[in-house]
Amino acid sequence: MKRWALISGLHGDLELYEQIQNDLKHQRSIDSLFVLGDLIGPDRNCDALLDRIRNPKRSDIKPDCVYGWWEEQLLAECGYRGDRRAQALRMSDGEEAVNQLMNAVDSSHVPWLASLKFGFIELDCALIHASSADIGDKLTPETSPLILLDRLTRLDVNRLFTAKGGQQFRVKLTGGTIQSHIKDHEGMQKANHAVPKRSVIGIGQQTAYTLYDPATDLVEFMEAGGKAPTSKRQGLGFA
Amino acid sequence: MTQTWLISGPPGCGKTNWILNALKSHAGPCGYLRLEGGSRPGLEQGRDSSIDWNWLKDQIPQLTDLRSNEDSGDYEQHESTFKIVELSQFQTLRGTEPDGVNTIVKAQLEELNLKPQRIRHFGEDPELPKGDTLDYNTLESLSIKLNQKVWDPNSLSSFWFELVNGAYGDVYRAKALMNLPDGRAFYCNWIVTQKGSQFLPLNAVEQPNGRPKRQSALVLQGKALNGLDVQSTIHDCLLNDDVLEMHQAQRRSQQPNPYQPAL
Amino acid sequence: MAHAVISCLHANLAAVEAVLDDIDQQGIETITCLGDLVGYGPQPNEVVELVRQRNIPTCQGCWDEDIIDGLNACECSYPSQLAERRGHRAHHWAAERITKDNKDFLAGLPMTLRRGPFLFVHGSPNSQHEYLLPGMSAFAALERVESAEADTLFCGHTHQPYVRELRDGSIRMKLEKPGTDQSVEQEITLPIRRIVNAGSVGEPRHGNTHATYVIHDEIKEKVIIREVQYDVAKTCQAIIEQGLPEVFAWRLSHGFEYAERADDADHVCERS
Repeated sequence: MKRWALISGLHGDLELYEQIQNDLKHQRSIDSLFVLGDLIGPDRNCDALLDRIRNPKRSDIKPDCVYGWWEEQLLAECGYRGDRRAQALRMSDGEEAVNQLMNAVDSSHVPWLASLKFGFIELDCALIHASSADIGDKLTPETSPLILLDRLTRLDVNRLFTAKGGQQFRVKLTGGTIQSHIKDHEGMQKANHAVPKRSVIGIGQQTAYTLYDPATDLVEFMEAGGKAPTSKRQGLGFA
Repeated sequence: MTQTWLISGPPGCGKTNWILNALKSHAGPCGYLRLEGGSRPGLEQGRDSSIDWNWLKDQIPQLTDLRSNEDSGDYEQHESTFKIVELSQFQTLRGTEPDGVNTIVKAQLEELNLKPQRIRHFGEDPELPKGDTLDYNTLESLSIKLNQKVWDPNSLSSFWFELVNGAYGDVYRAKALMNLPDGRAFYCNWIVTQKGSQFLPLNAVEQPNGRPKRQSALVLQGKALNGLDVQSTIHDCLLNDDVLEMHQAQRRSQQPNPYQPAL
Repeated sequence: MAHAVISCLHANLAAVEAVLDDIDQQGIETITCLGDLVGYGPQPNEVVELVRQRNIPTCQGCWDEDIIDGLNACECSYPSQLAERRGHRAHHWAAERITKDNKDFLAGLPMTLRRGPFLFVHGSPNSQHEYLLPGMSAFAALERVESAEADTLFCGHTHQPYVRELRDGSIRMKLEKPGTDQSVEQEITLPIRRIVNAGSVGEPRHGNTHATYVIHDEIKEKVIIREVQYDVAKTCQAIIEQGLPEVFAWRLSHGFEYAERADDADHVCERS
């Protein structure tokens, strides 16, 4: 089985994308590159990156993209989300940020961005920008495990790869139980539910990205252009 | 030599299941036909033979329609051809000998060059299963053609539940072939005296290109049937072209590439 | 102190009157309503006016929201195309009849009501459209209550009353981060939380035709699911006379649990 590379938060940075593509060429058996949103951002013109992603070079690993928080803002502002506009961005960064974002992406790319999916289900893994609760849902190692379990349950997957929280991490739910007592017109039902053994993986963003081997379930946290932060165990990932 | 049996019995007695098993257990070629019944005042014909024929043909692809005489010559020469002719639910038989066949039936059989050796009547023949039967003389019948129609699956489930629980009158018997947007069709079968409905998928699956081509229909028997309400509810359950196309586009995109189901 | 919680009145005046009588007879003075005053039933104005006259604190249900804003429900609110079309018909019928005054009242209803450790919502703290069915994942159910910072969550929307207590919970986890070989293990203890679904006054779907609501005794920490008989035939007659879909009357007169059940407990509507 081949390995996956998962990246996010390029924000129009073609140079960074080329750096990551170059890194991946030196890795063994990477056959899929998943871009979990935020291809665009307000800080630089994103057209060159979008051109490259949409028309990969022959030597590139072909990227499969989902949309992220920044794409959601742009698409909302362009009328792709009904009456909604980029309110979340307006609230957090003001009108100027909305204008900057609109100027950073040529309108010819908008229909393509609108065609991007919310996420992929690969094997028993969900690959999405944030979570199915909200495109702005920031999952981090500090997030309550109850919320992590809820996000896994909503998608009914064993592994959730997410980017919005920004950090690289893996939280493995390893055990635990809960008692549920339900009283209704049929009487009382008592049940004991076990925590399913599932994981949430934060893939990082920008220069921080993640490799995953579905056959062995090994996760490797990487840094573009540099050595893996987990250098001692490089190639082994986390057991 | 060719064996031809004439089968009769009231609605809901288990004829179709029995015929399917009898034909399936026969090793050689086989044929099936349901005779048209004479019209009865106050009753719309139980023209559900298209449902039964399509269901049987789906389960036994080599089954021949005895109405088409195209290759009857070959069958006559074949030693082990098995033919079942079913009388309409509104026709009756007297006795179990070929002579007991009434003149209308006799004429129909002669026209089709069919000579039954055995006549078997459900409810009288001790070898046949004694299923629940209905006194069809007092029942209304309603038949709705649904060719090319495709159901929203959850709506079909709600409609069928309402139908067999009396939302549209006292339905005693319901039988149908229904198309779903995933290309499958279901043989739906229910009778008031049995617990639960039978939902059996056809083997044949339609391609995701346009409306299905197979026959589809709903036949009801019961009392005080509210045909208008049935029709308008069915209308609310059927998919329009745009929605059907959406389902089919998804299926088409999944066919060559099982990769990447969308969330 | 005991308080009563009612939900999903659905313009069924006979049922609402019978339930309020039942509450009065028990000397209970505090009543909270979880919305869906209108929709399906034949007396939207009468029911809204009765709730206003009794001054019952009420949060907004999905039907109330749709009557104010025009049809706003996303497709996921309906379990089938048939349910959606019938729902739209009932919506248009009610929207044409509701008075401006009553509409303004519905528009002013809050999404949630909070009283100490109790949170009152129509569907879930996330959305008026989310169904918290009794069978949903126990951890996900606990998350709804815990994220809303409540001890007990009162909800409706499913039309099936139940009381669910989640206790003795724990989650063990292992955290791995870059730059370290060590993974950190920890176990958290989950709090005891409760979900109380008030069922439905005006369109019960719990298996019989009786209107349902709940009484919560805060001191004894006890919840009772009440069933109240009312004149179902009277409401059914009114449904047919008013030209609403006859199947609504049929459904009401059978109290079918099956009808239009949304079966996706974990689905969350993504519309804003």
